[in-house]
Amino acid sequence: MGAEFIRHVKRNFVAYIALLPMAAVVIFAYLGTMAWSVRLSFSSSKLLPRNDFVGLNQYVTLFDTSRWLTSLGNLAVIAFFFLLICFVLGCLLAIFIDQNVRGESLFRTVFLYPYAMSFVVAGLIWQWILNPDLGIQATMRGFGFSGFVLDWVVNPRMVLYAVILATVWHGSGLVMALILAGLRGIDGEIWRATRIDGIPAWRVYVSIVLPMLRPMIITSLVLLSISIVKMYDVVVAMTNGGPGTASEVPAKFIMDNLFERANIGLATAASTVMLITVLMVMAPVIYSQYFRKGGRAA
Amino acid sequence: MTAMKQMVAVSAIALAAATGIARAEEPLNAEVIHWWTSGGESAAIAVFADAFNAAGGKWVDNAVAGGSAARSAAINRIIGGDPSTAALFNTSRQYHEIIGEGLLNDIDAVASKNDWDKVLPEPIANAVKVDGKYYAAPVNIHMPLWIWYSTAALNKAGIDKPPETMEQFLADLDKLKAAGVIPLALGGQRWQENSLFSAVLTNVGGAGLWKSVYGDKDEAAIRSPEFRKVIETFVSLKPYVDAASPGRNWNDATALLIKDEAGFQVMGDWAKGEFKQASKEIGKDYGCIPGLRPDSPYVLGGDVFVFPKTDNAEQVKAQHLLVEIMTDPAVQVKFNNLKGSIPIRSDVDVSSLDACAQLGMKIMSDPARQVPDASQMMEEYVYGSVQDIVTELWNTPMTVDQAVDRFEKALKG
Amino acid sequence: MMRQAKPAVARRPLTYQEVWGRVGIYAFLGVVALFFLLPLYVMLVTSFKSMDEIRLGLIFSLPQQFTIDAWVKAWTSACTGLECTGLRVGFGNSVKILVPSVVVSILLGAVNGYALSFWKVKGANVLFACLLLGSFIPYQVFIYPLVRVYAQTGIYGSLPGIVLTHVIFGMPVMTLLFRNYYSGLPVELFKAARIDGAGFWKIFISIILPMSAPIAIVAVIMQVTAIWNDFLLGLVFAGRENLPMTVQLNNIVNTTTGERAYNVNMAATVLTSLVPLAVYLLSGRWFVRGIASGAVKG
Repeated sequence: MGAEFIRHVKRNFVAYIALLPMAAVVIFAYLGTMAWSVRLSFSSSKLLPRNDFVGLNQYVTLFDTSRWLTSLGNLAVIAFFFLLICFVLGCLLAIFIDQNVRGESLFRTVFLYPYAMSFVVAGLIWQWILNPDLGIQATMRGFGFSGFVLDWVVNPRMVLYAVILATVWHGSGLVMALILAGLRGIDGEIWRATRIDGIPAWRVYVSIVLPMLRPMIITSLVLLSISIVKMYDVVVAMTNGGPGTASEVPAKFIMDNLFERANIGLATAASTVMLITVLMVMAPVIYSQYFRKGGRAA
Repeated sequence: MTAMKQMVAVSAIALAAATGIARAEEPLNAEVIHWWTSGGESAAIAVFADAFNAAGGKWVDNAVAGGSAARSAAINRIIGGDPSTAALFNTSRQYHEIIGEGLLNDIDAVASKNDWDKVLPEPIANAVKVDGKYYAAPVNIHMPLWIWYSTAALNKAGIDKPPETMEQFLADLDKLKAAGVIPLALGGQRWQENSLFSAVLTNVGGAGLWKSVYGDKDEAAIRSPEFRKVIETFVSLKPYVDAASPGRNWNDATALLIKDEAGFQVMGDWAKGEFKQASKEIGKDYGCIPGLRPDSPYVLGGDVFVFPKTDNAEQVKAQHLLVEIMTDPAVQVKFNNLKGSIPIRSDVDVSSLDACAQLGMKIMSDPARQVPDASQMMEEYVYGSVQDIVTELWNTPMTVDQAVDRFEKALKG
Repeated sequence: MMRQAKPAVARRPLTYQEVWGRVGIYAFLGVVALFFLLPLYVMLVTSFKSMDEIRLGLIFSLPQQFTIDAWVKAWTSACTGLECTGLRVGFGNSVKILVPSVVVSILLGAVNGYALSFWKVKGANVLFACLLLGSFIPYQVFIYPLVRVYAQTGIYGSLPGIVLTHVIFGMPVMTLLFRNYYSGLPVELFKAARIDGAGFWKIFISIILPMSAPIAIVAVIMQVTAIWNDFLLGLVFAGRENLPMTVQLNNIVNTTTGERAYNVNMAATVLTSLVPLAVYLLSGRWFVRGIASGAVKG
């Protein structure tokens, strides 16, 4: 066993060396910080870290805080719609642009430019657009549609959809870029061959192209999931968690407690809870993708 | 021989004088982290910078917008071993923990030299004094709970003079509503909703209730009928705020007053900046009401500078010079005029301040009416929980009983 | 829906179905494009108005009095603290931070992806899983530990410090991008080269890298956007002399109790986003087809 291992390392030696930076970053930056933050979640740290031990107190306080519970529920709603809409829209845009469209460069830039904008002002714009007195509702009523209502940003029941709208606007472009990159990596021969065989276009997409795009699809879904869990800037810019706490999200809860509220203990407890949740959701996905037998799969 | 000696002597003196002058002219560098980035705030801090530079210092500006970002930048610099010379904070408990960790220099020497014990109002002195030593230099006093009104809007509703009691205020709100004007301009953001609640608490409950609920966190006070009345009055204001209020920035709410589309706004004295920008005049276009009872408490909040710990003698000298400059009476007046706040010391010439500021100074000089603001009386995280309750009270159908229970739980920590 | 090389037959007229297909494509893209452009329209229109006009609250109307004052102010004289010198001050610093960070983070991502995808390194997949998990943590949680470590090693508040920080935070997504992309490439190429005796770096440089254009361009888009728009990391780690343009942008846009000049804010935001936008526009020529196909045949 030992000898074989040494032989294996010798053969792949350069690969081991090449991965050293990644190993260093993972162990010292990521695992180190994770361990540190979990440790702090068991302390009473306020503005600065403290070395004491208070057991599960922070977690008890956490789940007794209505703002935290609301933010979890909100995140679930946002996650579902954002993931679905952003992914589908991004794919459709990529597929349509790939159809030898004139002005492709222009279209691509139009769908990607939101990604370049800092959310501080973009969020404010969406707030204005969806505000009943300033935005679309006011304009439509000005045109004579006096019963028209689009007050998502001030309506506690609809404010999450306002956030979803803004984040879809921001993120679809990237999904489009990823899927487009994947589409462009597909051999042109396939199109010629299937056309000669008389297979309708949509079937080609569903049965042949989509499976070939699997790596890009997985990448898109993972990236979208990451931005869902870390969603913060858009909420702060658009609604600041309001009205009331109707659009609170976990990342904002963590951030507020880390800085403004000077309550590191509570913030790291929340962060640990999120980490465990992500682990539980992602573990089966990661396992099936990367650890299966013969798994070089995406 | 004598001539040579003379020449050498003269040269020696000249050399000594030259190097002496050169040494004296080396400026004291002071890097200051703050969040005053708008046009008006910039002009205000320029007063400090210019005065400091004129006194032989060199002001190195490090502005970061957003109080929270600036404070965490300052704290990170301290932790990273590369502290700034001074950093801006608010009167609160924010910096107490840093003091506890020994990360700030105290400025007792300058404070006692300038008689701060006598010159500063008590709540301010209490905010900047920890364990009997002065650690922070207060530079202004902001009152966050002024009630602003638009003269034209009030005229339209047939209100001939501004309200002097809460009952008159509520009646005026009805009149405004009947006249088709937005009675109360509010930006539906957590801190603004909290300001509104604080205004109701101080005006309905008075200084006594303010201090016993927020300060002593006295259970009897929280469960008292007076506090219940405060909560009920707060909730009763909901119909007087327009539907587009959630998320609105405070200056957009002030804009409603400027456009005469709204009657009243509860906002701090920095609102004057907005009115001035729109060329509105006190008395003619808008007015300020300090409170709705004859003895209404004047809530004192403000900005302070703290001085990170350093043993570098030059830096300490720079820190002390900063304190002297910032609390100098003439500089105080000039700075506060531009900032919209009032000076920290009562021994200044107030004739150049505007009418609202002068009114504020008059009220503030009466010790009986001075009360500390909420964040001075409780820890950050407690205050955060209180704010959460208030915003939910405003935005959801919470009952008074539920609110009282949650207040008690949050204030008890 | 044909692609590139058309067979050498006379082009026949499009069928009814195909015409409607084309119309449908352009209609869809057009409508979605309008939705995407709406905020930009509001942003631009607001930036050309005066504050008095903005206070009227008609966000969709064209400027009554067109003025470029806000743009000039944003670039040259907006107050960002004591200095009123606008955005241009930080431009050079942003570039100084951007270039090394983008280059190093993408190169490392590519190497990591390559090693993970083609080579058997024990434990590499576990490290990758940890890296992915770590990317779900809001990066603000990392700040305190990183500040402490940097302070001890003397790189706090320096250009290498901020570059390292961007590399650390970019590593999960960059590695994910390249790893998934490479796993979609045919493994025969790699095996053939190994049989020919080529080593780790030779295969990477001569075979894998040339095929990486589509994903590399997406990586550039993501990293340029993330690093150029980054505010908090630059503020904390770059040091006073290297503060990026986003710090000035934040100072212009984000005052607490000062007056808000919306027109200047909009102009400043658009100005800041011009660099990533330029990258998106220029990226067009790499979204081309057939990079992989040539290699398969060859």
